[in-house]
Amino acid sequence: MKLVDVMSAAGLSIYAIVALVLFMTAFVAIVIRTFAPSQASQHEYDARLPLSDDDQAPAQAGRGVTRG
Amino acid sequence: MSTRVDTFAYDDAIVRKFLWATFIWGLVGFLVGLLIALQLANPVFNFGLEFLSFGRLRPLHTNAVIFAFAGNAIFTGIYYSTQRLLKARMFSDGLSNFHFWGWQAIIVAAALTLPLGFTQAKEYAELEWPIDLAIAVVWVAFAINFVGTMVKRRERHIYVAIWFYIASIVTVAVLHIFNNLSVPAGPLKSYSLYAGVQDAFMQWWYGHNAVAFFLTTPFLGLMYYFMPKAAERPVFSYKLSILHFWTIVFLYIWAGPHHLHYTALPDWASTLGMLFSVMLWMPSWGGMINGLLTLRGAWNKVAEEPVLKFFVVAVTAYGMSTFEGPMLSVKSVNSLAHYTDWIIAHVHTGALGWNGFLTFGMIYWLAPRLFQAPLFSKKLAEVHFWIATFGILLYVASIYSAGITQGLMWRAFDETGRLAYPDFVETVMKLMPMYWVRVAGGSLYILGMLIFGYNILKTWMARPATYEVPLVTAAPLGAHAPEPHAAPAGGLVASFTSVKWHRRWEGAPVFFMVMVVVAVVVASLAEIIPTFLIKSNVPTIASVKPYTPLELAGRDIYIKEGCFNCHSQMVRPLRHETERWGEYSKPGEFVYDHPFLWGSRRIGPDLARLGGKYPDLWHVRHMEDPRSVVQRSIMPPYAHLQRKALDFDQIQSRVDAMVMLGVPYGDAVTNAPAMAREQAQAIAAGIESQGGPAGLADREIVALVAYLQRLGRDVRQLPATASAAPAAAVAPGGGK
Repeated sequence: MKLVDVMSAAGLSIYAIVALVLFMTAFVAIVIRTFAPSQASQHEYDARLPLSDDDQAPAQAGRGVTRG
Repeated sequence: MSTRVDTFAYDDAIVRKFLWATFIWGLVGFLVGLLIALQLANPVFNFGLEFLSFGRLRPLHTNAVIFAFAGNAIFTGIYYSTQRLLKARMFSDGLSNFHFWGWQAIIVAAALTLPLGFTQAKEYAELEWPIDLAIAVVWVAFAINFVGTMVKRRERHIYVAIWFYIASIVTVAVLHIFNNLSVPAGPLKSYSLYAGVQDAFMQWWYGHNAVAFFLTTPFLGLMYYFMPKAAERPVFSYKLSILHFWTIVFLYIWAGPHHLHYTALPDWASTLGMLFSVMLWMPSWGGMINGLLTLRGAWNKVAEEPVLKFFVVAVTAYGMSTFEGPMLSVKSVNSLAHYTDWIIAHVHTGALGWNGFLTFGMIYWLAPRLFQAPLFSKKLAEVHFWIATFGILLYVASIYSAGITQGLMWRAFDETGRLAYPDFVETVMKLMPMYWVRVAGGSLYILGMLIFGYNILKTWMARPATYEVPLVTAAPLGAHAPEPHAAPAGGLVASFTSVKWHRRWEGAPVFFMVMVVVAVVVASLAEIIPTFLIKSNVPTIASVKPYTPLELAGRDIYIKEGCFNCHSQMVRPLRHETERWGEYSKPGEFVYDHPFLWGSRRIGPDLARLGGKYPDLWHVRHMEDPRSVVQRSIMPPYAHLQRKALDFDQIQSRVDAMVMLGVPYGDAVTNAPAMAREQAQAIAAGIESQGGPAGLADREIVALVAYLQRLGRDVRQLPATASAAPAAAVAPGGGK
């Protein structure tokens, strides 16, 4: 008996449904967490991370700006 | 509490290296694209040279723009942003440089082997096995360097851009390894481990996710970093970016089968791919809106800042192509669009608009910072923007029309129920004006690229004698004060949504990586395993036999010349298709096809039922000079096949590799070259008796003719001809 025969006879379709439920649950949990009010300040902090380093460009040609 | 503070510097030298590589390979990739666009408009641009023919160069174009241009652009942005977001220099300068030089060496290897015809025949995975191994090694070095940087980071929070980078790094590794599993049959030759339907499934699981995890998620990471940078304000909604990330990770991996609608793929897989593709519309547009609204209150800056102009068009193109993608994945739309230029237009909206413009915007922003000199000319950047935008419009407008025109002509019937355009070449000729407009559009885009290069070069020339290396100070992680905004714990929900939980979880980036891998792998397995392991998915057909040794050699020539880039071998079960080509293709026909050669584009006619349609001599004349037989054909000439000697001795190793893959070869196991010679002599004699040239028995053309005459023969159970006769000899058990 080959693996193909075993797999074909095993009736594995229930696993697809189990996986669907697990994935859906995981996703709903992520959504709930993301929108939890307690996360708001955290998100605000995270959103500013790219702006927290101070790497300005040298002054643009023809436009006197900021610093050298 | 410790007050220790580290002082360190970011490694910008590596970013500069990747930046230059992006420009150089981008230009090369675009120029090859222009050449192959010219070849379609007029076959004279094939120059009668085998290594410059469309079939050899098209993979060079796709590989160069995806892995060389976009790849180096991704690395430019990742090496710049990751260090700054994590407040740490890259883990190892040695690994960074190994990654850079290793990647460039791989590109050079690709640029040499593809025109020479070394290919696995799987789109965007054409590179042969030794190069695949090198890619795996370099990618692992990159991954170690990246994870190492995360481990020694000084910023506890991991910004969403980094999540996108992580997902890209791990998923690309998984895709690359599984799609490229093959049995070597020589130093630069291998056969896919999978055959037919399974190989097609694997390939488009890979192919679609190469778009997803090489051209989408890393660029989204770049968008989430450089867009706020350039707009000088945080992303519109961080919540939305989190959902964008997870939805894409959960959904994208399933979408591959939409590349195989109406083929011999099981219907359930096709439907599954379609549904997940339609669902993808939502996160994609969530991301697009998030990107565009980052400019809220800063739209006035778009008018004066070319960087933002490029970003706005890039994000809009992302929105366009991710609306179109789900639409094209709907089966009925796909039945019109598949195999036509519509797909090419769709891809170029994404590639030229999203990937190209995001890269240009990013580099215009980076150049003054990396070269520590003001951008040479903002005005030239504006000129670049408008020229390239106009170029994209010309390109896509013409190729959309070409695709829809051809799709409609293929399926048109006249009032008596016959095909309105039975002659395939008619449907090709109709596209010529559009192909010339594409050439114009592509040329404008390249002109923009040259202006861009000049601008960056002039900026670089104004750099200081030695780059200033600013020192950064940051406290190591252990020294961090407790979070000021930690939520009070209490109850199950509260502890779930509390920051503390998140802290531990995020504090283990490796765990995060594992979770992403689980999401990707579980989805892949659920989708792919059934086609491998459940019998009903690929019903076998008793009359389908392995290729004879000579036919196998011919198939290798077909692969080497890249015929599959223009010719499909897959008749869909649609009335106009069966009218035009014959009996529709069935999964059982392809069980010995390592790799599958279904193709994805019909620049030329489908070949699934070619066997027996023309005499052998017709093929000889046609390959020598296609226009001597089909007056308006745009096919490149393959006269060299009549000159080049067929390597009979090599055939044995090819057959052996096939046997290793489980193909029942009977007698041919020990006797392949002799069997091949015998069949070659029979075919050559036939060609001579038809009035063709003599002495072809040891030439490559004979093997190719043998293969072409075999196509579709088994399933129709045509009587054996000289070409097909020895097929019976290799039937299982037909030997000793």
